Order: sequence, then structure tokens, then C-alpha cells
Amino acid sequence: MSSGIPPWRATASATATTSLPSSHAAPAYIPVQARRSLTTKAPKPVPSSASTPSTAAEAADRKRVDFPEAVRKYVQRSFAPEHRLPGVERSEMETKLKTIITEAAEGNLLDKIDWETLPLPQVMVQNDRNRVLASPSVSSWGVFGTASPKKPAAAVDDPSKKRKSVEYQGDANSCPPWRQTNSQNAFEDRITYPSTDKRQKIDMKNTSKSKANLEMRRKRFEDPQARHGSSPSSRGDSPAPSADQGPVVGRCQNLEKNYFRLTSAPNPDTVRPLPVLMKTLDLLKKKWKKDNNYGYICDQFKSLRQDLTVQHIRNEFTVSVYEIHARIALEKGDLGEYNQCQTQLRALYAQQLGGHPTEFRAYRILYFIHTRNWTAMNDALADLTAADKRDPAVKHALDVRSALALGNYHRFFQLYLDTPNMGAYLMDMFVDRERLSALAAICKAYKPDVKIRFITEELGFESDEQSAHFILDHTAEDMLQEKDGVVRLLTSGKAGQLFEGAKADAHRVVDIKGQI
Amino acid sequence: MSSIFNDFAEGQRTGSGHRLAAALTPVAPAENPDRLKAFFYFSNATRVASDLRYSLFQATGIRLPKQETNAWIEIFTPYWKAVGEIVRFDDAPSHASWVKVFDAWKETTNMLIRGYSTGGLPAWTVPCLYVVGRYLRAFAMKADAELSSQDSAAFGDRFQDDASTDFRNAKLEEATRVINRMFTLCLSDRASIEESRKWGIYDTTNLLFKSYFKLNSVGLSKNLLRALNASSADLPSMDAFPKSHIVTFKYYIGVIHFLDENYAEAEEHLSYAWNMCHQAATKNKELILSYLVPCHLVTTHTLPSKELLASFPRLEKLFRPLCNCIRKGDLSGFDTAMTAAEEEFVKRRIYLPLERGRDIALRNLFRKVFIAGGFDEPKEGQPLIRRTRVPVAEFAAALRVGTHAEEGSRVDIDEVECLLANLIYKGLMKGYIARERGMVVLSKGGTAFPGTGV
Repeated sequence: MSSGIPPWRATASATATTSLPSSHAAPAYIPVQARRSLTTKAPKPVPSSASTPSTAAEAADRKRVDFPEAVRKYVQRSFAPEHRLPGVERSEMETKLKTIITEAAEGNLLDKIDWETLPLPQVMVQNDRNRVLASPSVSSWGVFGTASPKKPAAAVDDPSKKRKSVEYQGDANSCPPWRQTNSQNAFEDRITYPSTDKRQKIDMKNTSKSKANLEMRRKRFEDPQARHGSSPSSRGDSPAPSADQGPVVGRCQNLEKNYFRLTSAPNPDTVRPLPVLMKTLDLLKKKWKKDNNYGYICDQFKSLRQDLTVQHIRNEFTVSVYEIHARIALEKGDLGEYNQCQTQLRALYAQQLGGHPTEFRAYRILYFIHTRNWTAMNDALADLTAADKRDPAVKHALDVRSALALGNYHRFFQLYLDTPNMGAYLMDMFVDRERLSALAAICKAYKPDVKIRFITEELGFESDEQSAHFILDHTAEDMLQEKDGVVRLLTSGKAGQLFEGAKADAHRVVDIKGQI
Repeated sequence: MSSIFNDFAEGQRTGSGHRLAAALTPVAPAENPDRLKAFFYFSNATRVASDLRYSLFQATGIRLPKQETNAWIEIFTPYWKAVGEIVRFDDAPSHASWVKVFDAWKETTNMLIRGYSTGGLPAWTVPCLYVVGRYLRAFAMKADAELSSQDSAAFGDRFQDDASTDFRNAKLEEATRVINRMFTLCLSDRASIEESRKWGIYDTTNLLFKSYFKLNSVGLSKNLLRALNASSADLPSMDAFPKSHIVTFKYYIGVIHFLDENYAEAEEHLSYAWNMCHQAATKNKELILSYLVPCHLVTTHTLPSKELLASFPRLEKLFRPLCNCIRKGDLSGFDTAMTAAEEEFVKRRIYLPLERGRDIALRNLFRKVFIAGGFDEPKEGQPLIRRTRVPVAEFAAALRVGTHAEEGSRVDIDEVECLLANLIYKGLMKGYIARERGMVVLSKGGTAFPGTGV
């Protein structure tokens, strides 16, 4: 590696650094590997002009790396005189070729790339140029291209990268919609994708634009490696987090970290390993008790969860992180965040990792009562085992559900006043709605009036004042009258109608998207 | 005894989509059990394309445009491979794998879709889509079963923690994505309706519905409905489509409304499906009824007759105990029956509406109280009038009987009132509660319990 650094080497490593954001694990660009690839048997077939072949031959002697036959053929074809393109210097072609093979070797893609159909390097060089000329609009995105002035396009267009971006198309589309959450969609909406770029990459193969589009579509849909699961939003120019890439192992020692939604493979330097995360959790618990600052805590918990996820840590600790975050979110009424935790907890409990499954199964039922999601409710019921149903919290939630289903407000409010764990936070969210329903029924069924005391007791109000307030908030003043020294609600048709209207308003489908 | 090539040629010659689709059916017909084997062993991996070209076209004399010819060869090549994987279950079971069958079949499907989008396959061949799509789903489920039996606790390679990871249905999800493309392929065809793939829209929609239900993502069906609605202006009226497509479609629409608790609409669609369903399709009729019965209970408060359920023993077994308790006003029996069948009800997603049957049981119980209350003192020359002022305590007593309350247990008069209030509110009883006097005042003139004759 010592002497006479061939001109391409500098460029190649430069390219490597530019194109691989720091987030990528270091070993990816050890120069040795880069050269090794170059090794390629390029020389033999076309031993015409000097520089590269000889360097390559040397390299080949030093380390005989076995390159697949297909790679060798590809190199041969690149050098074949009949494939020469006017306007593309041989040195440019060689540089490009080197980049291609280096990248492929580094990415362990030598066997995966279809060398037969991969455009020759000279074609890529030409396409890159055309692209830069043709579409100034990409410039904002093509920062990489302009960053290395000599070979503007090389960095943008190395084959492994292109491949990945194509794979990403596959990913994006293959991520099944039921895996996508609202937030994901919303996030996607906000990104502008380098659409021009995608198209042009295909142009290498097909000159016709429409054909290229079709090809693009086909590829996108038929990519055999299409994997679901990886995030649809992590596309763009960053190196792909690939399925075969194992979990990240973090090296970060800081306890606190702001949450940032990943759009590329995580950088181990900013990921905290499990022992650190455990300390983080302790710290967060203390801070929560002390400061009660939800914005901060939620953000920290999200980054904590993210670190767990990228390191594929799924154990009791994971469960407790989600449980604690879920409880805090409940307490603060942040249903969006709560729901994320709940969804994840459901999967975690399915793996028997400990925690408090029944407590959260009960919340889940209450949550679906609140969101009035009957289909999900049915699923939640289906999830329950006989043992679950004997658990007091689950039983309570089931009784609440059944009381509401039958309109038994009497039972409902008894249950409301006796809610285990943190279920009351959830019930608080729909208790007013159910009070309106009950009042609508009461107005229709009782004549000519009922004492306010009765309402207070039946509907779980804390005092007659509170219930009077509630009634006045939704009806007119003359609905309450004092008679024989007691305040009474006149259960007239008019009151019934007013409550009916208020009830209908309150029962509109609940929107849980708004997160704090 | 026709071979795959005969079916292909005959289908092409007569323009019969179904005959053509028969060629792509990966199941050997009973009268020709070796059909798949014969097809697979007629060629080998290196020669298959040219062999297909010969057998599909040159030997049969079918002449199609070049593009279309090539499209068919591209479809039959992975098909041949898929058949090879299927044949292996007979010939070398230890090497056979549904996952491989599925992968090859998925490729077949993709090629078929491509054939339509770029290969110029004519619209009359859409039955091929039905067959290929149906088996794609079937193979996906088999592949999933195979995978889960091998149990690989696969870890999701997700960097976001925002969804639960459920890999039990990975292949079915994959299949659903492909079928979704078939849906778009049909819906977005702009050719004039005579030669449009739009005729395939309901069949592919049904396939998607089935998969979504299986995947527990019923919510996604609404996206399809939205897409269908958006282009409803371009679609021929429903009765122009094959009944088999429409009945299934209506069934699913009904169920979707049903799950949203839109029972009135659900009933409309389910009734349509029920009326149009083929007389001999017992299984389908049973499925429709299993939703229609609870629907009817909620909307009209009526129970299924003995005659109706006579030909569906399973439903009879499922619903009868419940119906009997509702009729008798036996609340504790009702609760027991609900608990006993809870698992089955939840699985069929009918637990929630059936639960509302308790109101009817309660109504029937309270009605007995009213009837047992007899008549008011007869007045001279007047017809008998039922006693319409009934003390709440009498309803409370009935409730104790109905729920087999333990001796000495307290009756919560407030709860009894609440139940009465609910029945009144829901229109199952007519009258009002005079709370101060502890009395229920029911409506006179045979309307106290509407629709029941008293």
C-alpha cells in the first residue's frame, strides 16, 4: 500500500468518505479493501495502455482475491475497445470502475450485483454527466455530486448505492399499510424525495423515458429482496440499513439524548448500550418525580425506546421502559404516545417478557371504549385468556365495557368510582360523554322531574354543585328548578333534546392523532 | 383429459377466459391426476422457455401478437417452476416447501400483472387473474403455516418502534401487496368497458377483503371502498357483474358495516347477499346468516325461526340457547349462554351485538311483570284495562327471579330504575318512572311494550 499511490486511489477513498455518511460503521472503508477490489483481472485482456493494468496486476499479486467470474467479465467488457464511448476518458472510466468494484466488495455485494446487466462504467460516467447537465434542479439534492469537483457524479452514482436506493423503493412500497402508523405517513408527506434522480438512474439502461419509468415501476414492485418491516421513510441518499445487517451495538455513554427520528442507519456512536440505558431510566424516573416536565420526559423516553429498538433489545427492561412511558403518557393524557407504547407492549407481552400484562390489557380495553373502536375491541377481547379475565383490573374493564354496551349507567358509574391502577385517567376521558348519554335517558324515562341529588349519586359527581354545573353547561337555566327546598332537573322533552344533541356531539368518533 | 396446453389453446381459440384460466390452475383435475407432473416433466430449467414457446404456440397453431406471445411465455415460465415445487410434494416430500411454491407463484402473479400492464393481454383473459390471485393467497397461508411451524423468532429489522411485529402472516402480507396491485390493475384500466379489466374489480376486491380480515386489518378495507367509490361512475351497475363476485362483495360490505355497528346498513347488504346467494352454497349462506341473525336481533328485535336455522345445524347450535333465554326472559340463562359461547362469538366477531340481546330478554321479563299485574278494577260496561301503574319493587322482584339472585342479597332499586330507564329510552317500553312514588306508569291501550301485543 505504500508506494506510488495510483491517481484513482485518492479519488476512490475520497468518494468513499463522501458517499458514506459518518453514521456508517467504520470498517466499511478501510482502504485496503478498496484496493483489493481493484485487483480485478482487468489488465490481462486489454493490456494496451499502461497505468491501471500494471497497478492492478501488482495488487493482484500481493493479494489474490478471488473475484467471481462475472466481475472479471464485466471488467473485460469495460476495457474492450468496442465499448469505448467518445468523450469519456479512459482514466475516468477506470476511476468509475474502481469505485464500482470497491463499493461492491466493501458492501459484500460482489455476488449480488447482476454484473451481466450492470451498465458499463463509461456509460455511467456519461449518464452522470448528462444528468448534471440536464437537471439543475437536482443540485440541491446532489450535494454529494458537486462536493467532489473532479468527478461530480461518481459519488452519486456508485452502483451499490443505486442498488440500495432501488431496494428502498421496494421497501417503501412493501411496508404493508397496516404496519404504517399515522405518524409515519405524516412524516413521509413532509419529505420531498429526489424523484428526478430515481428516474435518471434508470436512464442508464433505457434511453426512452417512458420505458425507463415502466422499468422503474417494475423494479420497485418486483424487487425480490423486498423486505417489509424496514422503515419506509429511511430512503434518500444515506446508505441503506439492510435486513442482513445485524443489530447496532451502541457506544454512547451519555445518559440523556434528544429524540430524533431516524432516517438512516443508526450511528453506534450515538446509541447507548443497555447498561447506560438502565441508568438513563433511573435518572428519568427521578427527574419525572422532581420536575414533572412532560415535554422533556417524553422526548427522552422516545430516544430511549429508539435505542432499544435499534439494538434489538427485547427483554424485561424493554417492557418496563414501555410500561413506564405508557403510564406517564396516561397521566398526562397524551393518548397518541400512550397508544404507541400500548401497541408495542402488546407485542412484547406476547413474547412473555414479564411486566404487567393484565394491567395494560385492562387499559387497552378502556382505551378502545374511549376511541369507540369496536373492531379493535373485538380483537382485544379475543386476546384475553380465561386467566386474564379473572384478573381484577381486566374484569373491571370488561364490566365497564359491558355496562356501557347495555346502557347500564348505574353500574358504569359505580365502576368508575372504583377503578384499579391508572384506569381512571382513561375513564376520565369518556366519563362526561357517558354522563350525557345517561342524562338523555333519564330525561326520557323519568317524569316530571328528578332531584339533583339523584343525578349526583347516579352519575358519579362529587357534589350537587358539580352536577348542577354540568347540567347547566349543556342545557338552559330553566331546566333546574327549586321545589320543596330541593333543586330538581325538569325532565322535559326540551331537556332531553338538549342532552341528546350534546351526546351526539360528544360521541363523534374520537380523534387520537393529536399528540401533546 | 385435457392437458395444460390444450386448455391454453382451447381458451385462446374460443376466447374463453375460464378455459384459459384452467391452464393456470395449479391443481390437477380429478380426471387427470397426473396433469401437473406431465407438465413439469415435459421440460427442464434451461429449455423451459423454448419448450413453452413450442408447446403453447407452434404446436397448437395459436398465433398472437409477438408481445402477447412473449408475455404468455413469461407467465408460464415461473408457472412451470411453481408447478415443479408443487409436484415435489409428491415426488420428494422432504424437499418440498410451501414457501418455495409461494415464491414461484408470486413470480407467476407478477408476470401476469406485467402481462396486463405492458404485455397487451386482452381483458377477456381476466379470469386468469382470479385463479392466480386465489392461489397466491392460498399458498401464502400455507407458507405462513409452514414458517410458523418451523418457528423462527424473526426479529423485525425496524428502526422505528412504532408497530407491533407480527411475523406470523409475513407471506400473506406479501401476497396482499401483490393482490393490491391486481386491484389497481383492474380499477385503473381506462379501456372502454366492453374490453376493460374493470370486470375483474369485484373479484380482486373480494380477495383483498378476505386477506385483510385474515390479517386482522379490517380497517384497510375502507381504503378499497374509497377507491371504488371514487371511480364508481365508471363502473357498470352491480347486477351486470357475475353474481358470484357480487354476493361475496356484498357480504363483506355488510360485515364491514356490521363491525362498525352500522347495523341497519349492514342488514341491507347482508340481505342482498342472502337473497342472491346460490341455493346450494350452504357454507356461504351460513356465513351470511351468522351476521344477519345478530343484525336482525339488534335492528328489529326478532329472533331467527326454527325453520330458518333448520338447515344450518351449526348456527342452530350457536344461537338457539341464547334465543331461548331471550324469549323466556331468562337473564341468568342468557349470561351463562353468552359466557359459554363467548370464545366462538368473539372469533366470529358477533359477541358485541349479541350482547345487546340482553335488553330484549329484559324486556320480555318485564313484560311478564306487566301481564302478571292483571287488570284494573273493571268499570261498568268498559272493556278490561291492564294495570298500567306498576311499582318498581315488582320489577325488582322479577329481576331477582330472572337473575337467580341469592337469598338475602340486596336489590339495588336504583339499578332497577336504570334498567327500566334504558328500556324506555330505547323504545322497548312506553311509559315513565315517577321516582318519588316508586312507580312505573306504562302507556295504555296495548302499547306498553311496543310490538309485543300488550
